[in-house]
Amino acid sequence: MAEEKKVYLQPIPVRIWHWLNAFGIVTLMVSGAQIRFPEYISVLGSYKAAIYLHNTAGFVVAISFSLWFFYYTFVTRSMANLYVPKVEDLKSGILRQAKFYFLTYFLGWDNPHHPTPDNKFNPMQKSVYLAIMFVMMPLVSLSGILLTNVEPLRGLIIMIGGLKILAGLHFLLACGLVAFLPTHIYLATLGHTPTEHIKTMWTGWEDAEEEPAKETLEEGHMAA
Amino acid sequence: MKTYHKYKWLWLVLLIAGLPLSVHAMETDDCLSCHSDRDEVGDELFIDGDQFSDTTHSEMGCVTCHESITDEHPDDGEAVSKSACVDCHDEVGEQYGHSAHADNATCTDCHNPHQARGIESMAGPDMDRQCQKCHEEAGVLESHSGWLPQANLHLAKIPCITCHTSAAGYEVLLNISQKTDKKLSSGRLSSYEDLKKYSGDKSIESLIDLNGDDHISLAELRTFNHNPAYKQLHLAGTLVPDSVSHNITTLDNRYDCTYCHAAGPGRMQTSVLSLPQEDGSYRRVTVDEGAILDTLYGTPNFYMTGSTRNATMNIIGLIIICGGFIMPVGHGTLRFLTRKNRQHKGE
Repeated sequence: MAEEKKVYLQPIPVRIWHWLNAFGIVTLMVSGAQIRFPEYISVLGSYKAAIYLHNTAGFVVAISFSLWFFYYTFVTRSMANLYVPKVEDLKSGILRQAKFYFLTYFLGWDNPHHPTPDNKFNPMQKSVYLAIMFVMMPLVSLSGILLTNVEPLRGLIIMIGGLKILAGLHFLLACGLVAFLPTHIYLATLGHTPTEHIKTMWTGWEDAEEEPAKETLEEGHMAA
Repeated sequence: MKTYHKYKWLWLVLLIAGLPLSVHAMETDDCLSCHSDRDEVGDELFIDGDQFSDTTHSEMGCVTCHESITDEHPDDGEAVSKSACVDCHDEVGEQYGHSAHADNATCTDCHNPHQARGIESMAGPDMDRQCQKCHEEAGVLESHSGWLPQANLHLAKIPCITCHTSAAGYEVLLNISQKTDKKLSSGRLSSYEDLKKYSGDKSIESLIDLNGDDHISLAELRTFNHNPAYKQLHLAGTLVPDSVSHNITTLDNRYDCTYCHAAGPGRMQTSVLSLPQEDGSYRRVTVDEGAILDTLYGTPNFYMTGSTRNATMNIIGLIIICGGFIMPVGHGTLRFLTRKNRQHKGE
């Protein structure tokens, strides 16, 4: 048997941010869909309600993004360490992780990455989160801020190519973030049990197998 | 019926008999020789000759409305008669008479008959001038901000009559605007002189209408928007009624945003470009149907949430979202098929 040890992986501020973000993004998805396709979607009642809800949720997500940024950059000072892939990650880490997800996982092998508070994300996660948190989220928020202030900021909007480019960018970025959601939720079920990672995001603690666990597993294989 | 025929002949006789007289009556130019000089007649009787000559009223001549005028005017000391607007505009008068506005403003409170132009000869931003004579901007913004999202944007872009008069249909009116010295300013409407600097000897229509067919195609719009020489210019759009009515009122259905924002692309197809003319009026040129729906370069600055969404963008968005299901569906299927390999982990 593998010896189980618990690791405190997600501190309270991160968990609050995560669920606030999750709730906000789902709200933005639904209200955004109604704003773009009002003839077909009316779950939130009036168009105006959808607009106000979308603007409020967008504001909440943008604020929570800023708090997240502040927390990791200035409080824990672990932003670069957690989110920026290292040379080693790029050279072999991503490939090793991809090999696990798309091949050795199906063979029953263990995840080569063992999360610790200082190294929460595997090399693939780092790359994806880097793109999402440092490119897509800021861009979708900034385009949203411009779109809610068209008249006062029209000069700036014209400078970046016009309202249509801005609205198109906001829409496609939003679609990208929506697309990330099913992948994100699915990958969250790939722990030792389907709900393990999801529970971690609620409690903060994750079960971690200690190194001896590997040996135990190998012994098991040899015995077989 | 007989009586009617009798009168018809009588009018004809009078017309023929009066013909020689009218030759001697005051011509418009005679009137303007004094009335276009502010010093001579004073502010109240001053008529801007340039503006007047562009009106339909000027084609009819001064004496049509001021029929009591004689060759001895003003030496005869006679008061000059004025026709009532409703003598000709009877349908408009009836429509307006039913509105609450009729109790507060007469025709001339809003329209100067010596300057009045048809809506086709006006730029979008000019259409509110009549309203602004009574309705101050701050008050209008305050009353709309209470319920209308981005009220400042709506009021800046859409003329009052779009929401406060009923019309069968609406069209997108495009104007050329240009950047000002202020970097982040939204720019101002380009004047005839502004655009003449770009077109030189050619007509200003030729800035966009490259083949001179008096119609603007999507390709011509794109070329205009891409042209680096026109970097300071951009197309600004607004939504206007396709026909003007005078039943000015607050229409309940305009409180529902979906009246405009859920109309769907079908209702947003027609657009026209309005270009300034030398005399200060505007001339409309038709634009390809559906041009405003073009993704990026048809009208980069005209976008109405919910109404001008682009079909290609929707498809690209859908493909991106579907891409997000590749992992759950593909990986999930293989995961299910190989579940036995992970049984020792308790999955």
